[in-house]
Amino acid sequence: MSEYFFELLTEEIPASMLDAALASIHTSLEKTILEMGASTPAAGIKVTATPRRILFFLSNLPEKQADHVDTVKGPPKKAAYDADGKPTKALEGFLKKNNASIDDVLTDGDYIQVKRNVTGRAAKEILAERVPQIIEGLRWPKMMRWGAGEYSYIRPIHSVISVFDSAHLPIRIFGVESGTKTVGHRTLAPDWINVTSYGEYQTKLELARVVIDVVRRRHVMAERALVLAKQVQGTPSDDATIWAQWQYLTEYPGLVRAEFRDDYLALPEEVLVTVMRVHQKQLPIRDANGRLSNSFIAVLDNEADPDGNAAYGNSFVTNARFADAKFFYDVDRKTPLAERIDQLSHLQFHEKLGNYADKTRRIETIARAICADLGTYDADAVTAAHLCKSDLVTEMVKEFTELQGKVGGIYAREEKLSDGVWQAIYDHYLPVNLDDALPRALSGAVVSLADKIDTLVGFFRIGAKPTGSKDPFALRRAAQGVVQILLNRDKREVKIGIERLIDLGMLAHDQPANGALKADLLAFFAERVRTLLETSAYNFAYDEVAATMEGGWASSLTDLVNRTDAIKVMRDQPNFLKILDSAKRIANITAGHDSTTVDRSKLEHDSERRLNELADTVGEQISELIAARHYLDALRSFAALAPELESFFDDVMVNVEDEAVRRNRMSLLRKVGNSVSSIADVTKIVVDRREYRE
Amino acid sequence: MSRLSFQSLILTLQKFWADRGCMLETPMDLEVGAGTMHPSTFLRVLGPEPWKAGYVQPSRRPADGRYGDNPFRLGKHYQFQVILKPSPLDVQELYLDSLRAIGLDLTRHDIRFEEDNWESPTLGAWGVGWQILLDGMEITQFTYFQQAGGIDLSPISAEITYGLERLTMFLSRQSSVYDIEWGGGFGYGPVRQQDEREFSKYYFEVADIGLHWKLLDAYEGEARRCLDEKLVLPAYEWTLKCSHMFNTLDARGAVSVTERVAVIKRVRDLAVRCAAQYLESREALGFPLLQQVSNV
Repeated sequence: MSEYFFELLTEEIPASMLDAALASIHTSLEKTILEMGASTPAAGIKVTATPRRILFFLSNLPEKQADHVDTVKGPPKKAAYDADGKPTKALEGFLKKNNASIDDVLTDGDYIQVKRNVTGRAAKEILAERVPQIIEGLRWPKMMRWGAGEYSYIRPIHSVISVFDSAHLPIRIFGVESGTKTVGHRTLAPDWINVTSYGEYQTKLELARVVIDVVRRRHVMAERALVLAKQVQGTPSDDATIWAQWQYLTEYPGLVRAEFRDDYLALPEEVLVTVMRVHQKQLPIRDANGRLSNSFIAVLDNEADPDGNAAYGNSFVTNARFADAKFFYDVDRKTPLAERIDQLSHLQFHEKLGNYADKTRRIETIARAICADLGTYDADAVTAAHLCKSDLVTEMVKEFTELQGKVGGIYAREEKLSDGVWQAIYDHYLPVNLDDALPRALSGAVVSLADKIDTLVGFFRIGAKPTGSKDPFALRRAAQGVVQILLNRDKREVKIGIERLIDLGMLAHDQPANGALKADLLAFFAERVRTLLETSAYNFAYDEVAATMEGGWASSLTDLVNRTDAIKVMRDQPNFLKILDSAKRIANITAGHDSTTVDRSKLEHDSERRLNELADTVGEQISELIAARHYLDALRSFAALAPELESFFDDVMVNVEDEAVRRNRMSLLRKVGNSVSSIADVTKIVVDRREYRE
Repeated sequence: MSRLSFQSLILTLQKFWADRGCMLETPMDLEVGAGTMHPSTFLRVLGPEPWKAGYVQPSRRPADGRYGDNPFRLGKHYQFQVILKPSPLDVQELYLDSLRAIGLDLTRHDIRFEEDNWESPTLGAWGVGWQILLDGMEITQFTYFQQAGGIDLSPISAEITYGLERLTMFLSRQSSVYDIEWGGGFGYGPVRQQDEREFSKYYFEVADIGLHWKLLDAYEGEARRCLDEKLVLPAYEWTLKCSHMFNTLDARGAVSVTERVAVIKRVRDLAVRCAAQYLESREALGFPLLQQVSNV
C-alpha cells in the first residue's frame, strides 16, 4: 500500500472560502482513488487547511491499477461500412489506431466498439496527472492575478510539496515546481523545513508553530474561550459564524480577552454585538444573567499574548468603533423618527418604483387593508407601517446597514412609543432566513407582509422577477418570508390568503386588474409554498403537497396544511387504496366532463340509484365535515362510498350509446368524485401497492 | 519600544522602502481621498512599465470629519503609500520587514492578513487583498490591483497603504490621535485640531452647495477639453478636482441617491478616458520607464 502527501503554500486565503474548497478537493480525490482501483475511497483521505496552506494525505493507495480490458468506442456503424458492407476509411483508421482488426469489432450497439487490453497505470502516474488538475481547477468565488499576471487563482502560490512513499513526486502547479520544502509560522518560525513524509511534516510543523488540523485548532480555541470567559464569571456567546471564521484565521490558534469602556454598555446591545461580531470578528461575553459584559474574546495567531499587546490593540480598536457608534447614536436621537419621513423622499427605493417615502405610503395602505381584512383596526401596525423605513436615514443604519429595522425599533422604544409599535418596527424585516424567528406580534407580521408584498408586486410589475440563479432584489426570500408568516403554526392569527394579499399589493400599485401580473405572482408563490412544505419541519412528501394544492392554496395556507396533514395520515391507512382507486376510476372515465347534475329519471339500475342516494347523503355529510375542517373524517366518509362504487362499476356500463344516459352517469360519478376535490386531487398520490398488502 | 513620533514613523518607512529600490515620490498637491488617486499609483499601474514608489499622501475625506472631537476619526489623515509593479512574490515578507524596521518584535505581536477587497466606483478600479491587522487593529490596506480605469492590468501592482496616525497612536500607546507627537516636540493636536474643527464645520455646514455644483460642472468641462487636446495629465488633475467636489457635496448632504449614481458615473467616465489616454501617451513615448537608469 502506498501513501501520498501534498501541500500548497499560498498567501492568506479568505476564511469563508476554505470549507467549500476542501469539500471539492475531497470529492475529486475520491474519484482519483477509485480511478486507481481502490475498492473504497473514503477511508484513506485526509484534507485540511490553514489560512495559507491546503494539504491532503492519502493512505492505503494501491500501487498501480489492475491490468484490465477496456471497451473503446469508435465511429457510428452507419459511417463504418459503405453501401457494399465494406469498412470505410473511418473504421479502418479507428482499428489501426487501436491496434485491432475487423474481427475484434463487437456486434452490439449503434457504434463500432473494440475491446482493448490495458496495462494498469501506476498510482503515482495518475496522481502526477490528477493533482495539478484538481488544485488548478478549483473554482474560487473571486480570483486574482499577481506579478506578471499570467495565472489566475485565489491568492499567489509560493511552494508545493508532493511526496509519494517518501520520495518527491514532481508536479507543477501554475508554474511552481513541487519539492519537499515548506515554511513554518509566518512570524514565529518562518524558516524553511524539509519533509519526506506526512508524519515528519506533522511533527516539524507542530514545532514550527503550525497546527495543521482545522478541527484541532477549533478545539483549542473553544476550550480557551470557556476559560477566558470564566475568568470574568461569564460565558462566551454561542456563535457558529465566528467559529467558522476563526478556525481559518490562524495557524497557531490562540485567544485573548479584552475590554471596552464600560460606559459604552449604555449603547443599544444590538449595536455593540454587531460591531464586535460582524466588524471585529470578536465574541461577546455574557454574565450569568445573560447580560452583555464589557469583556470580549478576540482571536490571535499565537498561543499567548505575552506583553498584553493583543489585549491592548483589541480594546483600542473596539473603543474606537464604539466611539463612532456613540457619535451616530447621539446625533440620531436629536431627530425623532416621525420627522425623518420627509427625508425618505430623497432615498431611492428603485428608479422605477419611486423613493422610500412612496414605498412607505404603499406599505401603510396595504397594512390598513390587511387590518380591515382581519377585522381589527390595529393602530400599532398602522403607526409602525408609517415609521418602519425611517431608520434608513439615520447615521447608525448608514454605518451598520445590517441593523435596519432594529435601529428603528430601538429608537422608537426610546421615544416611548408603545411596545406594539416599536416591536413591529424592530421585527418587520423578519423572517429573512428559514430558521429566523417571525415577528413576535400580529402588528409586526402585518407590517412585514405589507412591506414584502409591496416589494414583490413592485418588482414583478416592472419585469424584474428572478431568473435562474439571479435574484438581485431577493424576491424569493421576500416571498418565502410571506409564506412563513402565513403558515405560522403557533399563532394562526394572520388569517389572510396569498391571493388576497396579492390583490391588496396590486391595488396599492394601481394595478387592480392586471391579470398577467397576478398569475405571475401566484405561480411564483406556489413554488415557494411547495418548497417550504416539502423541505421544512412540515416534512410533507411532494405528492401530498401536489395533491392538496390542487384543492386550492391561495386562500389559506393554514387550511392547506390541515388538508395535507389529513392526506398524510390517510395515505398510510389500508382503506386509502379504496379512495385512490375510486378517485382514479372516476377521473379516467369522466375526463372532460364537468356537470354534477343527475337526472334521477334516467337512472336505470339499482346500483346507480343506490350510489346516487349515497352520493347525496354522504356527500352532504362530507360537505359538512369539510366546512368544519375535519378533513380526515371527510376522507374516511368518502372511503365508505367505495363498496357502492364497486357495485356500480360491476353492474353499470357508463359508456353506452345513448348520450343522455351516458352523460347522466358521468355526472353521477363526478358528483361522487367532486365531494372531496376541495381537499385534494388524490389521484396525484403515488403509492407502492405492496405496502398495503395485509 | 522607544516612544515613536508621527515623523519618525514616516522617516523609517521612507528609508526602509528607499533601501528596497523605491523612488520617494512627494504627495499629490491637490485634494485627494486616498494615496491611490495620486498619479503615481492610478496612472503608473497602467501598462507594462515597471514602477516602485513610496510617498506620504494627505487624504481628505470630508464625510469622516468629526469636528476634532473623535479621538480616532479624521477628515484629513495621512497615508504612507507604497506601489510595487510588478508585485514581487516576497511582498508580504517585505511588508513584515517594514514593521520590524519600525521596531515591532513580531513574535510578541499578533499579525494577520484578513480578506478585504478594494473597489473604487469613481476610478473604475478594483483589487483583491487584505486588511492587515496588528493586534486586532487594521494598520494597513494591502491590494493587488486588478483593474484601473476599466482596464485589465498586466503586470499586476501591489499597493501597500499604511495608516500613519493609527500606527503612531498604537505604537506610542496614545488613546487619542490628538495626543501623539508629530516631531520636534510638536503635538499632532496643537498642529492639526483647528484644521479638523474648521473643515468639519465647513464641509458639513458651510460649503456653498450651488458653488460646488457649478465648480463640478466647470472642472468636468475643463477635464474634457484637456482630454480632447490630448493632455492627459492636466485632464487627470481636473478629474481629481471633480472627485473632491463630489465628496464635499456628499458630506454636505447635497447629493440625492439618484444624483449620486449620476455624479459617480461622470467622474468615472473621466477616469476611464484618462486611463486609456495615458496608456496611449506612454506607448507613443515608447514606454520610457522600461529603460531604468540602473537596477537597484
